[in-house]
Amino acid sequence: MTEPEIKPEVMRISWGPQHPMSGQTRILIDVDGEIVRRIIADIGFTHRGIEKILENRTFIQGIVPIERMVMADTANIALGYVQAVEEALGIEVPERAKWIRSLICEMGRINSHLYAFGLQVECTGYFPAVFLWTTVDREVLLDLFEKLTGARWSYSFFIPGGVRADLPEGFRDEVKRAVKYLRRRFQDYWDAMVENPLFEMRNRGVGVLSREDAIRLGATGPVLRGSGVDMDVRRDEPYAAYGDLDFKVITEREGDCLARLKVRFHEIEQSLNIMEQIADEIPGGPVRTKVSLFPRSKPGVEALSRVETARGELGVHIFTDGGMKPYRVKINSPTLRNMYVFERLAELDRVLVADLPVILYSIDPWYLDCDR
Amino acid sequence: MQARSEEELVEELKREHSDLLVEAVVHRSKRVSIVAKREKLLELARLLRDKYSFTHPVSAGAIDYIKEGKMQMIYYLMNPESRFMLMLRVDLPRDNPKMPSMTQIWEAMSFHEREAWEMFGIDFEGHPNLTHLLLPPDWRGGYPLRKDFKGEGIAP
Repeated sequence: MTEPEIKPEVMRISWGPQHPMSGQTRILIDVDGEIVRRIIADIGFTHRGIEKILENRTFIQGIVPIERMVMADTANIALGYVQAVEEALGIEVPERAKWIRSLICEMGRINSHLYAFGLQVECTGYFPAVFLWTTVDREVLLDLFEKLTGARWSYSFFIPGGVRADLPEGFRDEVKRAVKYLRRRFQDYWDAMVENPLFEMRNRGVGVLSREDAIRLGATGPVLRGSGVDMDVRRDEPYAAYGDLDFKVITEREGDCLARLKVRFHEIEQSLNIMEQIADEIPGGPVRTKVSLFPRSKPGVEALSRVETARGELGVHIFTDGGMKPYRVKINSPTLRNMYVFERLAELDRVLVADLPVILYSIDPWYLDCDR
Repeated sequence: MQARSEEELVEELKREHSDLLVEAVVHRSKRVSIVAKREKLLELARLLRDKYSFTHPVSAGAIDYIKEGKMQMIYYLMNPESRFMLMLRVDLPRDNPKMPSMTQIWEAMSFHEREAWEMFGIDFEGHPNLTHLLLPPDWRGGYPLRKDFKGEGIAP
């Protein structure tokens, strides 16, 4: 990025990309004393050209690179791609496979929200206890992933036509046990952090994004719902098994950092409910339809698939030209949209330098997703 | 007022604003595609935002049809009430891909247009800050997402 001009009354601070809290990006801040006048996000440090890479992979090979977009939430990302491939190639998915997909997606969402929660708490100065708790509690989910898919991260478990394997024996009971454990832990988190007056002071009324601005600036996911906009792809356009599942879309009206945190928190509760429902009600049957390893597409087909990832709506738009590889894959990434909102926040609300890390981590940025 | 469904929107656009568009189709449920005339794009975009409440910008990206000698810019838009995906498309000649910037209508298209500018070489007239977003500021390697990009001479 070429740096824009600096106005004489402000000082420019370059934050990152080597700073421990900035993540793999650089953020330029124009400050006037303690007040941030302008935020400029210099993204692109982790750009790998995933869209171009996908043009040079067959449809099934493409699952692996696209999963590298968000490591904490690979299931949702991979599902977006796999669903687009299925729509473009006209592949049917058995009912049981859809339910297993929903189960893994919700586990991924909890995993990712836990990470976000830990980081936001860390940014407010509670280093490092809570972040370590959430990291330990993620182990419960990672163990489940390992049992089911063979890998703790980036499991490439979804393939066009279903999932790679059926649930192992006793898995449903283990899911229920994990849900029970996590529910108890989340109550602890809620009591210790969200209802903690010191934590509340650092988060309430900080980085306020109004409902109108959230819509106008194209925010997505918990950032959008934290500003009171009732949008969730899982309900608006049900995919996988979400049409048959019973869950609420969480919104908060305040639009500040605490509201975004609360949205994530309540979403974890909903996800735990969904996990339990799936463990109880999952239908029987096959988990995969036979699909060739090198499926060939029809020319001139396009398919746009939308999924709700932990960070918001992901869109994967595939265009085919009749070959074994996609002609073009356009990825609408959620973090890129939220980063734009973050850039504009200094103009919408009074932002102090000390609050900047909290605001940044309240949008739950994942730069690999932002840069692709 | 009840938000328009996909079919109602397409019917109404075809009936009342056929001079602004090349085509308007419902791909499947929740997916509407409109191809705009390039010279009428700003007018159509303003109409979509103000009259049809497509106030929520989602994303934008381009695709390079090298055989047809054209590029297509796609804007993904949403109405927070009806919540289906509207794809506003415009065809551009490949040798001179120039179009008005939609940041005048949807401010948040800024990042997406910068990306399309550096990846496809599409020139957005009226964009406030058309600089590199993902690629390094001294990038001289051409337009990576174009189909004739070879990637030669980039690595030192």
